[in-house]
Amino acid sequence: MKQIASFIVNGKAYELAIEPHMLLVEVLRDELGLTGTKHSCGIGHCGACTVLIDGTPTLSCLTPALTAKGKNVTTIEGLAEGTTLHPIQKAFIDFGAIQCGYCTPGMILSAKAQLDKNPNPTREQVKQALSGNLCRCTGYVKIVDAVLAAAETIKKGGK
Amino acid sequence: MSQELSVVGKRITQPDAAAKATGATIYAGDLKMPGMLIGKVLRSPYPHAKIKRIDKSKAEKLPGVEAVITPEDVAQWKPFDRGLKDLPMISGGYLVPPDEHILNERVRHFGDAVTAVAAINEHIAEEALELIEVEYEELPFVIDPEEAMKPGAPQISDFAEGNIGKHLSYPFPEGDVEKGFREADCIVEGTFSTTKQEHCTAETAAAVAYLDVSRRINIWSQCQLAHMARREIAHIFNMPVNRVKLMTPFVGGSFGQRGSVCAEPICIALALKTGKPVKLVYTREENFTALESRTGFKYNLKIGLKQDGTLTAMQVYMIGRLGGYMGCGPMSSAIGMTFGLGHYRCPNRAGEGDMVMTNTPVSGAMRGFGNPAIMWGIEQLVDEAAEKLGMEPLEIRLKNIKKAGEIANMGLTLESTYLDECIKRGAEAIGWKQKRGKKKEGQIRRGVGIATMSHCSGAAPLYLDHSNAFIKLNEDGSADLTVHPAPLGQHIWGALSQIAAEELGLRAEDIHIVTGDTDITLFEYGSDASRSTYAIGNAALIAARQAKEQVLERAAKMLGVSPSELEIQDRQVYVKANLKKSIPVADVCYDAIYNFKGECLNISGKCSWEGRWNSPPTGAFFAEVEVNTETGRVKVIKFVTAIDCGKAVNPMTVEGQLEGGMQQGIGYGLTEDYVINKDTGVVESVNYDTYKMPGILDMPETEVIIIDEPDPKGPFGAKGVGEPGMVGVAPAIANAIYDAIGVRIKDLPITPEKILKALEEKSQ
Amino acid sequence: MSRLLKPFEYLEPETVEEAVQLLSKYGDKAKVLAGGTDLLISMKKRKISPQYVVYIKSIPELDYIQYSQEAGLKIGALATHSTIADSPIIKDKFELLATACGKVGTPQVRNMGTIGGNICEGGPSQDTIPSLLVLEAKLKLISLHSERIVPIDEFFIAPFKTALQEAELLTEIQIPTPAPRSAGCYKWFTKTVRVDETLVGVAVLMSLDSTDGICSDLKIGLCSVAPTPFRARRAEEVLRGKKVDNTLIEQAAQVAAEEAKPRSRADYRRRMTKVLVTEAVNETWRKIR
Repeated sequence: MKQIASFIVNGKAYELAIEPHMLLVEVLRDELGLTGTKHSCGIGHCGACTVLIDGTPTLSCLTPALTAKGKNVTTIEGLAEGTTLHPIQKAFIDFGAIQCGYCTPGMILSAKAQLDKNPNPTREQVKQALSGNLCRCTGYVKIVDAVLAAAETIKKGGK
Repeated sequence: MSQELSVVGKRITQPDAAAKATGATIYAGDLKMPGMLIGKVLRSPYPHAKIKRIDKSKAEKLPGVEAVITPEDVAQWKPFDRGLKDLPMISGGYLVPPDEHILNERVRHFGDAVTAVAAINEHIAEEALELIEVEYEELPFVIDPEEAMKPGAPQISDFAEGNIGKHLSYPFPEGDVEKGFREADCIVEGTFSTTKQEHCTAETAAAVAYLDVSRRINIWSQCQLAHMARREIAHIFNMPVNRVKLMTPFVGGSFGQRGSVCAEPICIALALKTGKPVKLVYTREENFTALESRTGFKYNLKIGLKQDGTLTAMQVYMIGRLGGYMGCGPMSSAIGMTFGLGHYRCPNRAGEGDMVMTNTPVSGAMRGFGNPAIMWGIEQLVDEAAEKLGMEPLEIRLKNIKKAGEIANMGLTLESTYLDECIKRGAEAIGWKQKRGKKKEGQIRRGVGIATMSHCSGAAPLYLDHSNAFIKLNEDGSADLTVHPAPLGQHIWGALSQIAAEELGLRAEDIHIVTGDTDITLFEYGSDASRSTYAIGNAALIAARQAKEQVLERAAKMLGVSPSELEIQDRQVYVKANLKKSIPVADVCYDAIYNFKGECLNISGKCSWEGRWNSPPTGAFFAEVEVNTETGRVKVIKFVTAIDCGKAVNPMTVEGQLEGGMQQGIGYGLTEDYVINKDTGVVESVNYDTYKMPGILDMPETEVIIIDEPDPKGPFGAKGVGEPGMVGVAPAIANAIYDAIGVRIKDLPITPEKILKALEEKSQ
Repeated sequence: MSRLLKPFEYLEPETVEEAVQLLSKYGDKAKVLAGGTDLLISMKKRKISPQYVVYIKSIPELDYIQYSQEAGLKIGALATHSTIADSPIIKDKFELLATACGKVGTPQVRNMGTIGGNICEGGPSQDTIPSLLVLEAKLKLISLHSERIVPIDEFFIAPFKTALQEAELLTEIQIPTPAPRSAGCYKWFTKTVRVDETLVGVAVLMSLDSTDGICSDLKIGLCSVAPTPFRARRAEEVLRGKKVDNTLIEQAAQVAAEEAKPRSRADYRRRMTKVLVTEAVNETWRKIR
């Protein structure tokens, strides 16, 4: 039975009719057309489905959509301001931290949550924060470089 | 030939990066079309079974279900080889028979497709699968290739007598190995085994198929070889090639797995049955069982050397496990032997391989295509020989590596090699002198190891190496380059735009890549064998040169000089002897388009490239490991890859390839094991809880060294670099472990239990 | 295995009482949803398909961490692994539990998963259990008509089978303050990669007498080496009441390895049990001395 529920996604309010067994990843992708959040492993190991719920990295493929109602959901589409990229997005591009791009949304959101919580992370802390996001293309090296560079940019007040 | 380059060699960012960083990139699984149905596949729970009866009536009646197809429903269409090796893509008459139907009446491995449905949404499609009743007759099955070769073993395919799918020999034999071993002062041999590594692409297999206004098949396909896949699809569905429009989306990782057709045949069948667009996306479990993963081998390797360390003979016999269908697997033995036996200078070389069919998911090609498997053994034996001969591992390799001008691994002239530089600089970076061969004491021991390799830039002369490029200049001096590589994440678009821009005297951002549609692109063999930069790059370069000649001819008239007096730099055509006399490229192009003097021309260039050369990239890999002799656990502390890939078109991209290769190589060596239950034939490695690839915390300190010397035949000196990154990783780790604790592991993956067992055997 | 869930009815009680009423009403047709990291995977793998899913994370009074010297530590069942791992009071006074919770899964899984869910999953490899065993945690279980306190070492019956009865809800974990001059730690090896299921997990809680180095109490908790997590009581006896030295530590570790009953990779697990118990006891001993 479909229920009407209120969602706040990337700062915008939505009233959606969804069934209880729909996952947050399904609602984001299929109902709202926000396909940046990905299906990959389905069992919580790879982090490709990561979104932020009230700023906290959460696996949308293991989250029934109704449990997210009324909470602030941030997807990768919510990071840039218009065409102005978030410093983490810029750094990923500039440092070559993106190859196939499929793990990138989840990776950037996990990084963002880390920098929001701790603007001055060590290399090891960045790695710990990203330890739930798997990448098969990059070997992770430039991803860590990019996050640390973004941290510097943000500290200097850059955008 | 050294020249100052303005665009090639720069660390440019990629044109598609911003879309990927903002989640805007549309992958096949993200596509949505009006009226689109969702496909789902029912798969066999048995490793070998005949399908006796399918009752799809309940499924068909479920509201929202628009088609349920069975082997009977698809029998009208032709059988094929998923690896496209039933097409003439390999020279010497090599063909794999078309042994697979879209749905098969006898399923040959756990996870083999049985039926498929198309419904208005994924939930209904899954519900429909549960309503399909299938009666199986279980058949005897065989998992192990050596068992499958025995008389009386269950026969997998009519085309494989004794389950030998293909017997292949080393394609470039030389001399007489028996004589070579007689001449040897030292012979080392060993039996090695490698695993069925799974690609673990972040995006699973996906396809979208529909009929266009002309009722042609339109298919969004992730296949690396777009035009080859188009032909295969046209063949399967009995239509001319131009009745199939194949479009290539961005692909979320491939590493060779999408060198075959994956979801396409079933997806198209559903689209034809329903007359509607169908999207078919595989789950992670389907990726692990329904798609090809790296061919695993067991092989006996023997090498002979003189006292001074020069090789006299190399011989290998390989058994490869193919799985239930042939796919890309068979050639990996021939290719592996080609790379392995052709890496060092050795006058007597021979090899044979039996590629065996078994009731297991299909084995195919993964990054390196046999090279990682064979160098696993060769580099360990070379170290063993060095020890026996009292030589240093670096020394013995420097002695035997080939020099430019010799015959390279693929039987063509070795155009360039800086492998000696790779060895020397990599050794320094890892701290070889300080760390190697030191007395090891205590529970925790460290060691360093080396492995070298050479690969290929395209698979000429063994494979079809045909690429086409077409470039046109627009009225404002911007250009559109039409090519059809596969955008897998390797940033080939950026590289091709750099190459074309360099030739034309433009900037990389002036070149737009037109691609991804077989209606528009000229024939392209595709992206595999580390060929895109080299082969498609050369095609693009020559096409750009043609266009450049047209620019210069017209500019010469406009400037009142002869074309040979002109050069183009940074969008300006200028007279070499008088830099002040110049004209913007844009003006020349404008004149060509908007011309009222009877001289209209859309400046363009075209090149059909056929690879007559092959410039192998070479590399040296260095591992520093730490082994805990009480727990057997191995940690990779530092990894250095020194690569000779010619002139690096984009060093940032090259680094990314090698760093990614380290992750895959560490997985191959230490953590990834594809497990099939021998008693039931059920695949146990079906997701990331049961199959572990390295995460961010498993990566060592890394360093990449790019020698960056140009190759005479590569576009602006570039060689291939897509695959080499993982080839030497596992053997370097194995050799480092030997340095640390004096034991050799010959069976992948290296595990703590194997280490402890080897240590115990050593102490006895 | 699917990437989607099968249909169910979604219930969202706002109090504990409402929750147990619903559980009582629907019995074995209902499953409790908290973090979802275990439940949803089981549902996707089609191991279970509940008709009713009772989402309890909206119940405000179940997510808390309270400590006092006399009453000890009280953790609400809905406290997440992240909250516990980052809690200053737990890091300070119950460090091994913070360590254990910091090891569970991935950062995302730790943000979502709850200690209550982890306990009720009842699997042999749950990282939090060895620490809870050695801390002698007690579990508060509430049903429609009763409230009972169950010691944690009576809670695990068989793999994925706990003493939680139908229509019962775990609401609180109670942990007494350890004796003065106590310390503990949690050590583990994973199966393969760094972020991975635990191959052997060892928690140790040791108390030393205020006089010369006599071990007044030692508790050793193990996971992943038997059908359920358990206390290695025979191993504990080797050191309890004795003066701690390396020989005894090794002996205790050996006994612990013998108490283990691993099913797969058995030899290696036993060896690593010995290694880790040795390491854990040594580290704990160093902390107190």
